[in-house]
Amino acid sequence: MNKIKEVCAVIIETIGSIIGKMGRAFVNFFKHFAQGDKITKLSYVVMGAGCFLRGQKAKGFIYLGIQVCYILFMILSGGYYLSMLPTLGTNQQGEVWNEELQIYQVIKGDNSMLLLLFGVSVVLVTFGIFILYLMSVNTAYKNEVAVKNGEKLLSFKEEWNMLFNEKYHITVLALPVVLTFLFNVLPLIFTICIAFTNYDKMHQPPGNLFTWVGFENFTQVLYQNPLWATTFMRLLTWTLIWAFFATFLNYIFGMLLAMLINKKGIYLKKMWRTIFVITIAVPQFVSLLLMSKLLNDQGSLNNLLISLGWIEDYIPFLTKGNIAKITVIVINCWVGIPYSMLITSGILMNIPQDLYEASKIDGAGPIRQFFSITLPYMLHVTTPYLITQFMGNINNFNVIYLLTAGDPKSLNLYQAGETDLLVTWLYKLTVNEQNYALAATIGIIIFLLLSFISLVTYNNSNAVKGESDFQ
Amino acid sequence: MKKLLSILLVLLMACSMMVGCSKEPTVVNLKVWGAQEDQEMLAGMIEEFKAANADKEWNIELGVVGEPDAAKKYLEDPEAAADVFAFANDQLRDLVNAGGLYKVTRNTENFSDIYAPGTIDAASIDGTLYAYPMTADNGYFMYYNSDFFTADDVKDFDTMLDKAAAAGKKVFMDVSNGWYIASFFLGNGGTLSIGADGKQVCDFNNDKGVEAGEAIKAITAHAGFVTGDDSILIAGIQDGSIVAGVSGTWNAESISKAWGAAYAATKLPEYTTASGKVQMGSFAGYKLVGVNSQTKAPVEAMDLAAWLTNEANQVVRFEKRALGPANVNAANSDAVKANVALAALAQQSAYAVSQKDVLGSYWTPAEAFGVAMEGKDYSKSVQEQLNDMVAQIQQ
Repeated sequence: MNKIKEVCAVIIETIGSIIGKMGRAFVNFFKHFAQGDKITKLSYVVMGAGCFLRGQKAKGFIYLGIQVCYILFMILSGGYYLSMLPTLGTNQQGEVWNEELQIYQVIKGDNSMLLLLFGVSVVLVTFGIFILYLMSVNTAYKNEVAVKNGEKLLSFKEEWNMLFNEKYHITVLALPVVLTFLFNVLPLIFTICIAFTNYDKMHQPPGNLFTWVGFENFTQVLYQNPLWATTFMRLLTWTLIWAFFATFLNYIFGMLLAMLINKKGIYLKKMWRTIFVITIAVPQFVSLLLMSKLLNDQGSLNNLLISLGWIEDYIPFLTKGNIAKITVIVINCWVGIPYSMLITSGILMNIPQDLYEASKIDGAGPIRQFFSITLPYMLHVTTPYLITQFMGNINNFNVIYLLTAGDPKSLNLYQAGETDLLVTWLYKLTVNEQNYALAATIGIIIFLLLSFISLVTYNNSNAVKGESDFQ
Repeated sequence: MKKLLSILLVLLMACSMMVGCSKEPTVVNLKVWGAQEDQEMLAGMIEEFKAANADKEWNIELGVVGEPDAAKKYLEDPEAAADVFAFANDQLRDLVNAGGLYKVTRNTENFSDIYAPGTIDAASIDGTLYAYPMTADNGYFMYYNSDFFTADDVKDFDTMLDKAAAAGKKVFMDVSNGWYIASFFLGNGGTLSIGADGKQVCDFNNDKGVEAGEAIKAITAHAGFVTGDDSILIAGIQDGSIVAGVSGTWNAESISKAWGAAYAATKLPEYTTASGKVQMGSFAGYKLVGVNSQTKAPVEAMDLAAWLTNEANQVVRFEKRALGPANVNAANSDAVKANVALAALAQQSAYAVSQKDVLGSYWTPAEAFGVAMEGKDYSKSVQEQLNDMVAQIQQ
């Protein structure tokens, strides 16, 4: 519990320092306005005034150009999208009889989804422009101070050259930052917004509008709608169980396999290793789809066992809830062990042999050696790997979807099956049910869960805390 | 100041150019979606359409989206979807609810002559026609091996199961599938309808439904019964272990090949409930061609949709792909009547119910009930399981 508190304290501290910085910038913004001369004051209204009126022509006009473009953009389209953001559209699609063409001509209405998307984009653009505005105001004040002190202002050419020398990081990072905002941040904000709307089957564009509903989706999925809530809780439990076993069974068996191959007296080490690695060469989805055919009720394995007379009736490997869960975990071991074997065998070879020799002299057996030397060493090095594996398994769409597609379906679950993870449920809700709002809500909940688990475990791992132990 | 002015002017010009850039359309751009297997055939039909309407310049693009996925793909992005697309008629309500389809008002003058009332109803919502009927073969019936079963045997499910079990053979039906399992409930008077709030209403958990459920329980537990998907059916027919199976026209070719002269098909059999024998019902599915409400050329799109579904092209569909025509004239041709599978489907159609009033929420719970029956999960009574199923369907 204390450790969680520590982590929380770190988070709060970070947030606090960010707020502090923002606060100072905020105060400076007004202070500089009060202290500045006319030109600086003008630059609060006309971007770049503090530059071009003091001789930095090119820079000043670039700022001004940005401001003009932004204003035009807002007048031409941005303002409209921004004004539609609070309602997400009011005009529903309609139709009128066109006598000449003999059709009911469709009059297009507002498309809530596009309005939301463009609205969010406009907000992001505005945010970006606001940062540029703050930069221009800041430059204006700095220029004023510099002129007062008799310093010479940098020419455009000098500043341009700086972008390739002192400020090279800005040049290099500009494109990645813009692209990240465009392809990561914007869709992320868009999806988060959908969780607070009623975008589902009954509110499907283009014929219908959807609108904001606040936290209703969250309360529905957590307790108000009993079927959704039980489905959510059961799938969450199964997701965590799955992630635990999928991660640690792979890890332990991979390590044991690696140790077995590493052991003195095992011949043809390279051949064994190659054999296991060859399974990686087969694309995962191919082997998974083959497995699902093999383990079918009427599949080859059941037929073989029946014809051998070992079993009377087929074994429902993939069609009975609990058996299917076990099957999925076991098959995931089969898919994943070669990987962890590869990773761990490298580290195993790195463990200093003198540790083993010293322990042998002290009378430690192989089991004691494993728990006192091998495991601590391995855990120390691989905790971050384990955390990412765990997170990856919580969202392990491929294995589940290709193997069972979440089946067998159950009457106790809402549009889901026994082996569905939260993420495959989310997929089904969007693709089969078009319940985008619920899916986005679940997405947010998964995100909160993942970030909490990973922050707490990562900050408490030895890899972070005792970085110098083994050096 | 001059510089500032010139920059402003340039910007304004750039903006005005962007606004005034929309040029007059001279070419009609249309996009059509069809199934992978139909691409070649559709391309031929489109070429003929272009030739028949040479007064306009056409740019018709053909995309691969099969009928079962059409609504799903459409709703992902209506603006980018095809102008004319084929879909199964169980998606009609979702598409109409989403405002995705143009009302069909052109080229419908003789519809009452060339289509059966059931067909037109399957393409309409509240009496308004929303799509052109294309095929009427999306249903299922009983294939059987006539060396094994007589024409009398296949009238009764229990007879079939007993006879198959006695010979160590199997009768196939995919029970863990809402589409097939519905035949028991529909046969015993069950209904699926749409409530006032637009949600699914289902009465499969009333007394009659429970009778049907108990029958499903008995049948799935029978030694002569096997369930699974199409691959199980085909494999079983090829290795001789399956002697009869419920399926549709898409398997006709491989089944007739495997059975040769013994290949036969008929309507679904009767099954036994506590209150007597019941004829199994079924879903009758149609495939329709609709026009996207977001299209820029509704008139041309409607003409193209009508062309793709006209009598000549329905005949082409039957000849090239053995798809059962919806058009009465095309369906009454001798060639269609001689087709064993389509004849069986026609026999079954007397007991079939249109799939139009089935919403997406029906399938998963119905499948879950089938899974419980297949898995012989009797932890809850049939009544309780059906109650759960209906509660979920009506969510």
